[in-house]
Amino acid sequence: MTLEEGIFYVVAAVTVLGGLGVVLARSVVYAALFLIVALLGVAGVFLLLAAEFLAIVQVLIYGAAVTILILFVLMLTRARDVPQAVDGPQKPFAFVLGSALLGLLVTAIVTTDWAALGATEQITLVPARELGRSLFRNWSVPFEVASLVLIVALVGAVILARMEEEEE
Amino acid sequence: MIPIQHFLVLGAILFALGVYGVLARRSAVLILMSVELMLQAVSINFIAFAAYLAPQEFRGLIFAIFVITIAAAEVGLALAIILRLFRNRATANVDEVDTLRW
Amino acid sequence: MVGMEHAWLLPTLPFGAFVVLLLLGPYLPRRGDWLAIGAVAASFVLFAFMLADLLGALDEGHFEGVSSGIDWLRFGTFHVTLGFLFDQLAAVMLAVVTFVGTLIFIYSTGYMKGDPRYGWFFAAMSLFVASMVTLVLADNLLLLYAAWEGVGFCSYLLIGFWHERRSAAEAAKKAFITTRIGDVGFLIGIVLLWREAGTFNIREIFEFAEAGGYSREYLTLAVLLLFAGAVGKSAQFPLHVWLPDAMEGPTPVSALIHAATMVVAGVYMVARTMPLFDLADPIALNVVTSLALVTILMSATMGLVATDIKRVVAYSTLNSLGLMMVALGSRDVTAAMFYLFVHGFFKALLFMAAGNVIHGTDRQEVTQLGGLAAKMPQTAAAFGVGALSMAALIPFSGFWAKDAILHGVSTHQNALVTALVAFSAFLSAVYMGRLYILTFTGRPRDHHAYEHAHEAPPNMLLPVLVLAAISVVAGFWTFDAVGEALGFPGSIGKFVFFEEPEELKFPSAIAVASIVSVVVGLAVAGWAWWGEARPARVLGERFRPIYQLLWHKYYVDEAYQWVIDRIVLALGRVIAWFDRVVVNDTGVDGTAGLAFFTGFELKFLQTGRLPNYALAIAAGALIAAAVLLAVRV
Repeated sequence: MTLEEGIFYVVAAVTVLGGLGVVLARSVVYAALFLIVALLGVAGVFLLLAAEFLAIVQVLIYGAAVTILILFVLMLTRARDVPQAVDGPQKPFAFVLGSALLGLLVTAIVTTDWAALGATEQITLVPARELGRSLFRNWSVPFEVASLVLIVALVGAVILARMEEEEE
Repeated sequence: MIPIQHFLVLGAILFALGVYGVLARRSAVLILMSVELMLQAVSINFIAFAAYLAPQEFRGLIFAIFVITIAAAEVGLALAIILRLFRNRATANVDEVDTLRW
Repeated sequence: MVGMEHAWLLPTLPFGAFVVLLLLGPYLPRRGDWLAIGAVAASFVLFAFMLADLLGALDEGHFEGVSSGIDWLRFGTFHVTLGFLFDQLAAVMLAVVTFVGTLIFIYSTGYMKGDPRYGWFFAAMSLFVASMVTLVLADNLLLLYAAWEGVGFCSYLLIGFWHERRSAAEAAKKAFITTRIGDVGFLIGIVLLWREAGTFNIREIFEFAEAGGYSREYLTLAVLLLFAGAVGKSAQFPLHVWLPDAMEGPTPVSALIHAATMVVAGVYMVARTMPLFDLADPIALNVVTSLALVTILMSATMGLVATDIKRVVAYSTLNSLGLMMVALGSRDVTAAMFYLFVHGFFKALLFMAAGNVIHGTDRQEVTQLGGLAAKMPQTAAAFGVGALSMAALIPFSGFWAKDAILHGVSTHQNALVTALVAFSAFLSAVYMGRLYILTFTGRPRDHHAYEHAHEAPPNMLLPVLVLAAISVVAGFWTFDAVGEALGFPGSIGKFVFFEEPEELKFPSAIAVASIVSVVVGLAVAGWAWWGEARPARVLGERFRPIYQLLWHKYYVDEAYQWVIDRIVLALGRVIAWFDRVVVNDTGVDGTAGLAFFTGFELKFLQTGRLPNYALAIAAGALIAAAVLLAVRV
């Protein structure tokens, strides 16, 4: 086992643990905290994949903004105050389906001949400078569209959330 | 070196966990978190493909950036909807909302 | 110079008048009647030019008629032309249609004056004439059929012109539906002819038939079906019932239907397709003759007792149509067309003169008329000319034509047929004499009507007098000298003929028998109905059952009514039951009910709970992914 592999297994273990926590935690707040762990773990995986720019974006947007947003909503909906089962009645089916899906995906991954598809052995580092150039040159139109989607979504979210106050 | 399969299997585990969470959880907020897990799994796959299969182009990376962007928008909207749901029906549990039928 | 190739203009002019009147009628001065008259008159003038052209071509030698047209439909190898054929047969018909039509239109300006739908009347009449002209000129059976139906439709519009009157509306329906029964046969016949020959063109069908393309039985069936159309349109027994009822229409319409359009269409069609009848089994022409004989005898006897002045004239039309059909049954196209030609004039004359009587007195039952000769001398004289023509007294035009028919019948048919036709001549003299006597002589029976009776205005009188003059002289076309003087190759026998030009002969035996029977007939009429009409009343009492039988028109209408009530409606009820129970309740409502029931049951699958839907989606996606993976591996 090389050093890289060791690091990967550690990071992967943290990520999977975080994910398990999200779907198994009895408290919504704990689930949110486990989500942060999982997201940070994914950021670590990104680093291992030599995508450090994305790792930073991941930490900034998901680790901070999204998680805080979720916690705010938890606070506003006071879900914590109502003690009740967090899992629905179809939990067994969900387990079966989830396991089946995992089995299917792993089968697909294992049976695929990746070398034949051109998989390299080495991970080449992508400089952030090149990524930025590509994003703003080749992908400028999708980028603008994504910006528009973002602003529309956020304005819509604000209106949705505020509507009631005007009604009252 | 780490083979690509390792990353893909990690993505698969995260995705399956997300699916389980979406199906098993009652609270809309928890379902949303599970969806985020699934999106993370997808992002890992994209970046792994980008790194191993087509390093010269950054399509996978670009895609991952867009996934994060759209996910941010989605979270914003979804949370606003959950907020309204809670205000209208005093619950954030999806199985208590069953007017979507005859 | 206008020539025969401009035949398409003939129907276009009245049709154009129809369109203009339909769209702009109310905004035109005098509601546009001048436009309709002008269009028909222009058609007549145009026809005169075309006739001159035709005669010129005849002088140059053998002539087969000029065909012109455009492509109408083309689907692959199936192709139909919108073609017009102008030949001698069409020329004789067109002379009647356009000339008599023009006079009837002029007459209508008086008769229909003040009617709230004055403009619409002229529009419909224009369309009627346009349809008829198209029918005459059509060079293929499909166009002929289309025009045929156009004529039927216009007759429906015009017979039911005063549709506020229930009887008029019902007469219109009766005319339309009765003729339609024959039209179905006609259409099937056309399709049969087309199926073998692959063309609708009449001449090509003739060539195909002459080359032996049809088997004899097949052709016989086809022509009998064609004849079914003629039976309906030309009101032959057993589809004659609509014609007397068609009197409900305004009198100019009756004149147009009886003289120029509609009823003679069947005669014309049979004359046009005579080569096919000739090639078919003799049974076909025997059927034509038999039905025509029944028609003649029924109509002539019914005419003896009817009291409605227009109805009597209508029976005389049935009589005349039967005569034409008998002539056709004897393969004598010349005699049939000659009779058709003169009949157009004197029948229009009779109707318009009768219309003058109705217009002047507001009565149309002869039991309320009488002695009108003093009040309406010109109309009385004109009606007398028409009646004598119809009765076929020498030298009026009817005599020559009927003699030609008698001659043709006597040479082609057995003695019984000839005797029956001659007997019908006697009968027609009796009932025409009766009609004249009851209407114009004797003492007035309704003094109120008599006091108010007045002679018709000039625009109604002039066409009548013109027709009266023509009715006297038209028959002289039977002489070669007259025909040659007019520019024709000779008598009508050398102009319109089947197979070979023929001299019209007048064997003295037939002529004498004909004259004697007419004179005796008129004498009988005078004896029976003159003055107090006592002999007629005594006869009516003495032979009451026969009188009742005739009065009720041989109970044909009642028989049809019985068939409709007992058989057609019973069958209809069965079909209605089938439609209601099997088609509707089981077929239509059943499938709908099944869909509703399954939907109602299945809707409970919808819980409305989001997690259930998510589970289903996930399961579906998983299965789809598994299938795809399995296919790949």
